[in-house]
Amino acid sequence: MRLSIQGVGVVGGFGCGVEALNHALANRESRTQSVSVKTAQGMRQMPAFLADTSKIEDFVNKKALRRVDHYSKLALLGAYLALEDAGQLEADRQRMGMIIATGYGASRTTFAFLDSFKEDGDKFSSPTHFSNSVHNAAVANVSMLLGITGPGLTVSQFEISVSSALFTVRNWLKEGRVDSVLFGAIDEYCDVLGYCWHRFFGEQEDAGQGMNPLSFNLQSAVPGEGAAFFLLTREENGGQSPYGFIEAVEMGRCGKEKLEVPEEVMLIIGADGHKKCGSYYKRYVPEIAPTVCYTPIYGSLPVGSAFDLAIAALSIKNKKVFPSPKNGCDKPGIKIVSNEQALGNRSICCLKIGGGGEWGKMTLAPFPLTRP
Amino acid sequence: MRSSSVAITGLGCLCAPGNNLGECMVSLFKGDREPAPPLRFTSSHSGSYPVFEVPDDLASLNHKGISDISLTARLALAAAHEAVGDAGLDREWLRSKRVGICMGTTVGSAMNNEAFYRQYCRDEEPDMAPITRFLHSNPASVLAREFDLTGPCQTVVNACSSGTDAVGLGAFWIQSGLCDIVLAGGADELCHVTYNGFISLMITDDLPCKPFDRERKGLNLGEGAAVLVLESEECRRNRKKQARAFVLGYGASCDAYHLTAPHPQGKGLRRAIEEAMELSGSAASDLAFINAHGTGTKDNDRVEAQVLNDLFPGIPFLSTKGYTGHTLGAAGAIEAAFTVACLEEGRVPKNAGFATPDPDLPASPVQSGMAVKETVALSESLAFGGHNAVLVIGIERGLL
Repeated sequence: MRLSIQGVGVVGGFGCGVEALNHALANRESRTQSVSVKTAQGMRQMPAFLADTSKIEDFVNKKALRRVDHYSKLALLGAYLALEDAGQLEADRQRMGMIIATGYGASRTTFAFLDSFKEDGDKFSSPTHFSNSVHNAAVANVSMLLGITGPGLTVSQFEISVSSALFTVRNWLKEGRVDSVLFGAIDEYCDVLGYCWHRFFGEQEDAGQGMNPLSFNLQSAVPGEGAAFFLLTREENGGQSPYGFIEAVEMGRCGKEKLEVPEEVMLIIGADGHKKCGSYYKRYVPEIAPTVCYTPIYGSLPVGSAFDLAIAALSIKNKKVFPSPKNGCDKPGIKIVSNEQALGNRSICCLKIGGGGEWGKMTLAPFPLTRP
Repeated sequence: MRSSSVAITGLGCLCAPGNNLGECMVSLFKGDREPAPPLRFTSSHSGSYPVFEVPDDLASLNHKGISDISLTARLALAAAHEAVGDAGLDREWLRSKRVGICMGTTVGSAMNNEAFYRQYCRDEEPDMAPITRFLHSNPASVLAREFDLTGPCQTVVNACSSGTDAVGLGAFWIQSGLCDIVLAGGADELCHVTYNGFISLMITDDLPCKPFDRERKGLNLGEGAAVLVLESEECRRNRKKQARAFVLGYGASCDAYHLTAPHPQGKGLRRAIEEAMELSGSAASDLAFINAHGTGTKDNDRVEAQVLNDLFPGIPFLSTKGYTGHTLGAAGAIEAAFTVACLEEGRVPKNAGFATPDPDLPASPVQSGMAVKETVALSESLAFGGHNAVLVIGIERGLL
């Protein structure tokens, strides 16, 4: 069964909304901000793609947001934008389900909760921080504010979170459990993640030079944060979809199963400047398909492939392939798309490979099953 | 059984009452429970709150080669090995099948290592081993690596309903033909962070918990894991394996009401129960008992008792958390395993901790162990965030 994409809502380092993403793709760049990272030699600056959630106040009043943290604000903003894009802000949501994918969950609030008792003692533990620190707090906050009473699910599978969660979106729609699913992916940046990042990668000589993800041997990842949301229905309910249709969601592990990509597709790879993941892309990305990599637009984060899914949907809507922000590739034979080109009838395959070799693949088709 | 039912051909369970499912059931039917102050960590709270810990030195948690993963992941592994053994599955054979993994957790997905964070805050240069361990300990991925499996892999982080959701989701992977076998369940370890969290919410009892009792003051935390082997009919018949039980239905809903409190009329819970019952094709009269969430908190037990009395008047219900503590992301899976074992034995244990009926509750749980003859039971979970998840589980009595 195929899924129809009814609406897309995105927020990330590139800005807020599909127009901001369109703009960044057209310009082939997205600006990073500078974050301070604690190191043994004192504070250092490091680039990061950060997301501004202030636009959420266009949808929800400040009072209702008083206790809502950055992680849940990212979710709320993504959710409202996707529903607005689909023209479904006022729709009944009793038969709507909600699924969120996240790599690290509400990491800022997780550490804020530890802060609440680490100095003054256990009895000062903050109940508000604790209840907002659970990974499913975002589903809870969105379902409360939007009145979504169908099933809710949060999935955390690091780099494969998006494919894994989308697998269940498809199942819920297939079994008729819901009529639509608000599906989103979120990860947030926090100081501790920045610190870990620096400890793991910061001292490598090729770090900090900007993202160059197609140089698979280079450690060039820049941390990112953001949310990408989609309103999804069964194809038969959706009819025509401006963003196309998700026709396949697959998962596997490199070396165990053949990683096949049909020759006629556009391939979006989620290589995000991590050497370890890069080695898998170098080995397993087929040389047959035209390939693009958009991670320099949104940065490196576990759920980055949700942004690839959004870009694929935009490509279908705009009937064009956005050029890859970086062209140089250290695997000879890969056909990097360096200029804008027509999408034509091609499907788009988004491929993400994690540091352990696990992979997720999502394929989007531009046309309904019965083509006009 | 209906054609949509999914066979359970193996079970594994590890929590405070026992190191495997058999030991757990012996403890439950004896009425044993020994919550005690936590041994694994210290706390500066003025009082002590009992917990249900699994001993750290259990052989099944410490076998060679698994020291670099979290306790949550080791609990998951121990339960999975028991379940796979119970199902009579050979690892080589497993690798030739489409095998999925769906595991629930809460602590197992949280990057909240206290020692690391304290050192970080003190500008010391902490050892990165806890972070590396966290990154290597995603419960579903750990099982996939251990059994060398490449099918769908999902870690469900729906707080306290994660285990129930994981079993329900995994059952659909079988029903829809996506997998031949699914290892589904949940795992969670006890830790100081969650201990503080639940105490801060003032929903933790400083005595052994008393689900549904008039004097209940809250929950006790626990830890453990359970894994169910779910198997397609084709696969099961080909290897002539008898099912221990069947997942007949699964329902889930959001309250959309409050982050930590259930909907006062249990609106979402009713919906999840009705959905699970409808999918199962079962009627209230088919039910032998209900394994309730029954945490021992004021709100949860009031809402749950009301809903169960409205929908299933007279059907025995009990909470097993008086024996295990609240094992969070593992709870739903552990309780599903207990539900199967109780149906097989044709009896349920008493609701540990219950002594005095609460006049505000319309019904009381099972007060002493009792025999049951029907072949279907309900196991339900309510979670932070307003998640509700319900499984309908059945056995074929004639086959036992």
